[in-house]
Order: sequence, then structure tokens, then C-alpha cells
Amino acid sequence: MKDPSRIYRWMLLVASLVTIVYLVGAAVQENYLAQWKGVQRQYRSLLEDKATDDRGRELLAKFRIEMKQASIPALGTVDRCVTCHNGIDDPRMTDVSQPHRVHPGHILDKHPVDRFGCTVCHHGQGAAMTFREAKADDVYWDYPLLPPEMTEATCATCHDPEKLPPDQAPLLLAGMELYREKSCGACHKLGGRGGALGPALDNEGAKTRHQLIMTNLRPPHTTWHWQEAHFRDPGGVVADSLMRNPTVTQRGALALTVYMLSLWNRDVPESYLAPDKIEQKYRALHPVPLTGEQVYRQYCTACHGDGTYTRWDKKFNRFVPAIRGVSLVTTASPKYLQANIEQGRPGTQMPAWGPHAGGLLPEEITAVIEYLRTGATEAPITAMVIPTGDATRGLSLFLRNCYGCHGMNGRGGMAPEIGNPVFQQAATDAFIVRTIQNGRVGTAMPAFQRKEAPVFSDQDIADVLAYLRTVAGPKAQRAMAQNTTASAPPGGRP
Amino acid sequence: MAETATREFVHNLHELPHTVRDACFRLGKTPESEREESQATFHNLFLHIHSVRVHLRTLSPTLTFGLGLTAMASFVITIITGVLLMVYYKPSTDLAYQSMKDIHFVVYTGRFIRNIHRWAAQLMVLTVLLHMARVFFTASYKKPREFNWLVGLGLLVMTLALSFTGYLLPWDQLAYWAITIGSNIANSPRELTDAIGITKWFDPGGFQKRLLLGANFVGQDSLIRFYVLHVFVLPLALVTLLGVHFWRIRKDGGLAKPEDPMGGLAEWGGERRQVFEPLATKTYGLMALVKGKRPPVNRGPENTVMSWPHLFWAELAVFMLTVAITLTLSFYWDAPLKELANPAIPENPAKAPWYFLGLQELVSYSAFMGGLLIPVIVLVGLALIPFLDRRSGGEGVWFGTAGEKSTFWQSLCFAIAVTVGMLAFTVNFGWLRNWFPNAHQLWIIAINPGSLLVLFFAGWSLLILKRQDSVRLAAVALFTCFLVSFTLLTYFATVHRGPNWHFYWLPSQWPLH
Repeated sequence: MKDPSRIYRWMLLVASLVTIVYLVGAAVQENYLAQWKGVQRQYRSLLEDKATDDRGRELLAKFRIEMKQASIPALGTVDRCVTCHNGIDDPRMTDVSQPHRVHPGHILDKHPVDRFGCTVCHHGQGAAMTFREAKADDVYWDYPLLPPEMTEATCATCHDPEKLPPDQAPLLLAGMELYREKSCGACHKLGGRGGALGPALDNEGAKTRHQLIMTNLRPPHTTWHWQEAHFRDPGGVVADSLMRNPTVTQRGALALTVYMLSLWNRDVPESYLAPDKIEQKYRALHPVPLTGEQVYRQYCTACHGDGTYTRWDKKFNRFVPAIRGVSLVTTASPKYLQANIEQGRPGTQMPAWGPHAGGLLPEEITAVIEYLRTGATEAPITAMVIPTGDATRGLSLFLRNCYGCHGMNGRGGMAPEIGNPVFQQAATDAFIVRTIQNGRVGTAMPAFQRKEAPVFSDQDIADVLAYLRTVAGPKAQRAMAQNTTASAPPGGRP
Repeated sequence: MAETATREFVHNLHELPHTVRDACFRLGKTPESEREESQATFHNLFLHIHSVRVHLRTLSPTLTFGLGLTAMASFVITIITGVLLMVYYKPSTDLAYQSMKDIHFVVYTGRFIRNIHRWAAQLMVLTVLLHMARVFFTASYKKPREFNWLVGLGLLVMTLALSFTGYLLPWDQLAYWAITIGSNIANSPRELTDAIGITKWFDPGGFQKRLLLGANFVGQDSLIRFYVLHVFVLPLALVTLLGVHFWRIRKDGGLAKPEDPMGGLAEWGGERRQVFEPLATKTYGLMALVKGKRPPVNRGPENTVMSWPHLFWAELAVFMLTVAITLTLSFYWDAPLKELANPAIPENPAKAPWYFLGLQELVSYSAFMGGLLIPVIVLVGLALIPFLDRRSGGEGVWFGTAGEKSTFWQSLCFAIAVTVGMLAFTVNFGWLRNWFPNAHQLWIIAINPGSLLVLFFAGWSLLILKRQDSVRLAAVALFTCFLVSFTLLTYFATVHRGPNWHFYWLPSQWPLH
């Protein structure tokens, strides 16, 4: 009779052999093929070559092939990078290849590895035991190893970059300067200050690659690659991006990227912070007001340019007023300008900049109004005798002369919305009348009462004014209804 | 005197290996006769759950494919590797992920051990499901094995629960979002209570979710809950139930098999043999130790062989085969470990563990249907099978009664057509919500691809019941449909569902985030 368990005995033999092969394989892999052991053997022979004096011999005698790590509970890191980077603090290791070489510069003098570890500056996966996993740009890890030129971004974790020696973080400083120069604050908030069109950037450096849209980006899909590509062509990386191309050089894009990576409110124990960082944090809570020109440059130029001419914004399909135009600032009262800055223009891209919105200080708003009015010699007209107007007649004048640009029912078109609640509230009759009389130099608004050929009589202007006061676009009406402080004008339609 | 004692002492010392062996093993030597072989079996605590003789059918590899044993072996492997992992794992949201990384990077062979744990767990889920299919298609649930079928269902649920609770422990993105999805499936009765507007007073979904998570979100409370369930409560419960399962196999007469013919010649083991014909006047059941000079000379009673060594060779072989498969998989494919769990960055798509993906696909149509009603219908239906199909016949034989094979193939084709058709229709044309955006949610709960699948399958089974006039064939039809749609839905949700649960032919076409 055939042995019924013969097949099972063969199966057992084969399975047991396979098991033994893999168990032995795992043991060999763990004991003899570990990358770091080979690295440490190489390093030992380097130590032997350099053991020419007592100190060298002592280092060689102390060297052991073992796993090494810098465990920093205060930072929540365990960095095993030193398992392979054995020569990181040995000044003799200058002429050897990586990973044995000494750390460049004198940074380790003030940042010893056993107090700071590695990943607090370099990012990467400190716990890993192979370079691929430590670098972590193709494994699951939120913060892969930063490229060397971008490592300065992390200086900002503990330092105020502007108080560092200028050669220590040149890209970071350049990035900060570009951020101000390109007036990024017009759309992005940082520390509670800035516009509301784009996302706030306070923790931009903490973002992981999963929070950024990588669809249109060629690999590598790292956050810094995304940032750099995005600074060169925002719309090419994020479809439908509202962001204007900042038009920066290659180095400029790199600098801005480094600055973005540095924006990270990381929770670091106070004992790790440089005194200037603490001062910087204090200044963020108690800001020193900027000058009017600084405010204008950082928060206004992105849309208004230098403010002396009207520009057409293709992105938003609308015009941007010339807020430093001579005829505006000589006509408009500071109060009118202040209302527009503090409350913005609801329904347009102009955000509110008051302390609870854009975060500008009252002193700064005053200063920027001063700046807008630079060169305005005449005092604004506050009062004027205006005849009583007829709104119906005003409507027919409006239809013939104004609505081409200003649109119907105060809704605006190429020119400002007459129905805008902030406009209706802040603009005095005298301001409107004077604007119609003289027009706006540097914009498309013509003068309707030029001495040589007046289009409107005083009565005409009064009629148009009466009509304008009856107008408010539906959006504006809603905004006005919500704005309890607004003394809304009767919003009937003609 | 002194000399005698010394000699005795030296003698005892010399004999020490033998005396210790005799003390440990009751037989004390390699069995040489069938009597000793039977003693080796029933004198051993771990072996005595087996009968001393085993039927040749039971040893046939193609009867069971060793599926139950493989599941058992995988369970043993997960217990051993799980204990090793427990030594390093720290069940705290602050420490768990770092301890996983340490297991991965610096614990000696830690990555390998974790891989083995992971693969053995996956293998266990898979083989438990296949084992159930095997038992069904060999009609092995029939009297007197109804209870053991129920115990097996309990073991299936427990296996899934063990695997699911283990899923959270690494505290990475995969774990966090899979458990978030899983707990939302537990929350699914809320779809119905919301639709009738009684959630405020009666909220079983919210209760289930909070019971599972210990909070309204996945956090420290959930982690410790899952940990306790995973390392203590569920393994203990599963071992207990497993004991009952094995004990009942023995008490129910071993693996199901058809009655042996009495007397005459029969084909067994490749040769024609005289089959033992019992005499009505004799008892044979007390101790089946034969082969000797007593009644059936040179023949075994029925078609049995000694369990020692044949059955134990087979069991050992299946066990080692499981080990070999697990080690091979673990050597080449690492268990996943994604980024640290981050409640602020949802995984897209967030997918449940693979064995729940079929359910997740149904949940995407209707949470209540997919998350509660259909699983309950399936489990109750499976539990009822042995009590509704009472006619004996075909036990222990694949597709043992007439017409089973053709019913199986017909049902297979029917279920593939219906499931694929339903999925293709839903992907291409949407469902009620797309056509009638304002439809009441109750309509969606009642009529959705999931509930229609259930109706189609129930209708098909009733049709078979009527036309074939056989409960067993109706059961075969229904079970086949369940198996096919489970497989297809799982496959579909695994491969073809991408971000926002949209359809993609390949994962490589997913938009990158």
C-alpha cells in the first residue's frame, strides 16, 4: 500500500528548507550586510591611517563598531545619522569622502551634536539606519532631508534671521527682502498682518508634500521643488491660481523657497532659542509701526503698483485705482481714504486693513495715508454748496455719460462700483461733485466741467449726484444691511 | 553502604537523560507498534484531541487543502511574533509611531518580525474565508456539524476584529484614516436615523462609534482600547472559541466524509482492497487498535490509518508550509508604515483594510445598507444555512450532490454579470442622487446598487429553489453569489477606486496630492 503521508513528508522537507534559508538570510542580512557596519569598518581604517599622535591613537582605541545616536528628548528626536557620519566632529577628517567627512564650517562649535542632534536643522528621518531611508525623499516621511543650500531655512527655528551674521543665511535674508519687495503681504497674511486673497503663510514650512498639489509638477515631489516651481510660474503648478507671477530670478525663487521653508512655528524649548529669537517673538506681539512708505511697499504695490496710474488687472478682470494719483489725493479727504483702507471695498479684491482684518496698526494707516497724500498741496474740499438735484434727470444724464464705464445700478464695470457701501458711506457729496467736475488725472475718468468745454452744468452734476445716492448694487445692499454701523442711504432703484 | 549509594548515584546520573525523558513523555520512546502509536497520540495533552486513527479521505490534500490548519498555523505565528512586538511597542499616541520606527530600524530583525506578523495576519484572514468556502462546498456543515459552522462564523468575525484592531496600532496615516473609515462604518445606522429624524433621541450609530473609539474621534482613548482588544481580549476569546471548534470536530466524528461502503472491495490509495465488514454481534468502537492476530487480519477497520505518524506528518507539513510562505513574503515585502498620523491631512482616498473594502464600496452607496444591513443579512444568512438545508448527502465531497457543480458555474456567471454590470452602470451613469438631487434619503437607502445586488441574488436563489427543487442547490447559488460579489467588490474598491472614491482604471492615474 502506498504510504499516505509520503507527500506530506516531502512537503515538510521542502518547507523546512525554505524556512531555514530565509531565517539564515535574515540573520546574515542583519549581521553582515548592514550598510552602517561597512561604513564603520571603513572609518576605523581611516582612524588607523590618522593615528599618528597620542590623541589619534586614543580615538582609535575608543572606537567601537556599534549603533550610535543622538537622543534629544527636548526636541523629540533620536538621530542616528552619527552611526555613519562618524567623523562629523573630528577636524582631521577634511580630506576624506562622505560619509566620513567633518561637518563644514564652525556650526558644530556652537551646536554640538549631542545637544542639537541633526534633524532639527537638516530634517530627514533621524531614526533610519540607511542613507536612503534617512534622506526619506522616496519613503513615507513628512520632512525629507533638505538640500544643502536650503538648510539655512531652519536657522529661523531658533534665530531671528536678520540678527544672524549676514553670511550665515544669505538666501533666507534675500527671501525675506523679496517677500517685502514683491509685496506678498498684499495677499498673504504672516503673523496676522496681510491681505486675505491668498492663504496665510505662518506655517508654510510645516506643510508636507501631501498638502500641496503635485499633479502638474515633474518629480521629485518635494515641498521645496513645489515652492521653487510655483514661484517661477504659479499658474503652471496650481491650475486657476490667483497668484500673480512674482517675476523673480532663479536665485530669487530659491531665496523665496528658503524663506517659505523657514516659516514654521515649531515648538522648541526656550532654552534652545537665541536671545534675538525671543526678541523677535516679543516684537511680533508688540509691533513697532512701519513708516507709510514701508507699509505701501509691503502691502499695496502688488495691486496698485506705484499708485500714480490706473492699471487693468487681467487676472481679476478689473481695473485697479490710482490711489496716489494727484487728483484723487487732492480731492479725497483723509477720512475717506481711511474708511476705504480700514474697511476695504466689499465685493472687490480690496480687503479690509483695519487692526482686526489686515492687521495694520492705526498709526500705520495714518502713516500710509500721509504717504498717499505726498505732494498733495491743496487741502481736500470738505464742504461745498450744491443745488438740490433731481434723481430722474440724473439717471438720464448717467445713462448718456457714465454707465459705459460705471455700469448700471451702481454695479461697476471697468470703473468703481458706485453702489459699494464703503464708497457710499465714506464719499462726501463734495468729493463726488469735485471728482465729476475735474475728473481723475492718470485714469479714464474725464473732467465733465472743463473750463473750455463744460459737459455738465452745476445743476447737471447735482442731478447726477442725487441719482448716485439712490444707487446701491444688490451685493452692496446686502453688505449694507449687515453693516449695522452704516447709515445706509435709501437703496431704491431708478 | 557508602559504596552502594555512590554507585547508585553514579548510575542515576548516567541514566539521567533517559529518566528525564521517561518522566516528560508518558510513552517514553519512539512508538514501534500500533498500540504504542495510539498511546503516543492519546497519552499526549497536545495530541489527544486527535483520534488515534484517521480516515484516508481526511489525509487527501485536495479535500481540505489544509486551509483550516493554515489559518490555525498563521494564528500561532501571529501570537509568537505579536508577543515579540509587544516587548517594544508602546501604546501611546506620542510614542507608538517612534516605537514602530525603532522596531523597523534598530530592533534586531524587528522589521522581519513585524513583516511576518503582518503577512501571517493577512494569510489568516484569507485562509479563514477560503476555509469557510471549502466547508460550504463540501457540505461539511450538515448534521451533526451545524454548531461547529456557527463557531466557525464566530471565529471569522473574531479574525476580522483582530486584524482590524491591529490596524490602528502603528499610528501612521494608513492606520489613522483606515480606522476613521472603519469607525464611520460603525456610525452608519445614523444615515437611517437621520433620514427619519430620530437621531436626537435614538442614535445607535453614534453609540457604536463611541463604544469603538472611546471618544468622538480617533485618539489616545481609541488606541488603548484597540490595543487591549488586540493583545488580550480578542486573542483570548479566539483561543477559547478555537478550542471549542477543534473539540467539536473530534466529537462530531472528524472531518465530514461519506459513509464507507461495508464489505466487498473498494478502491483506496491506488489499489483495490478488501473493506472490513463488521460483525453485528461485536463491538469495535472501544479501542480501534487492530492489525494483529485479532479479527480483521492484515486489514484496517474501514479505511483508516494510524494518526501517529501519518496525520501528524501532514499537520506538521502544513504548519511548516505556512511558515515558509510567510517568511518568503516577509523577506521581500515590507509591512507598510506611512507618515505619522496627522488628523489635519486626510489620506485621499482613505481606505479601510482590504477585507472591508467591499463593504466600503457598498457604504459609498448607502452607509446604512453597506455598513449595517447587508453585513447583518450576510452573517444571519450564513448562520442559517445548516438549519435550512437539513437533507443529508454529499458530506465531505466537493460539490457532492447532483447538479451542484452546474449550479455553481451558473451562479458564478450570473453573479459576475450582475456585479460587474451594476458597478459599470453606477460608474457610468451615477445613481439616484445624481438624477434626483432632492430625493429623500430614505429612497437612496432603500434603492441603491448594494440593496439591488442583494435582491438579485435572493431572487436568483429562489429561482434555483423553485426550478431545481433543492434547498442545497439554492444555498449553493446564494453562497456562490456572495463569494463572487465579495471578491469583485473588494477587488474593485482596492484597484479602481481613487481619490474622492472616483473611478480610475489604474492607481497610477490618480491625481497627485
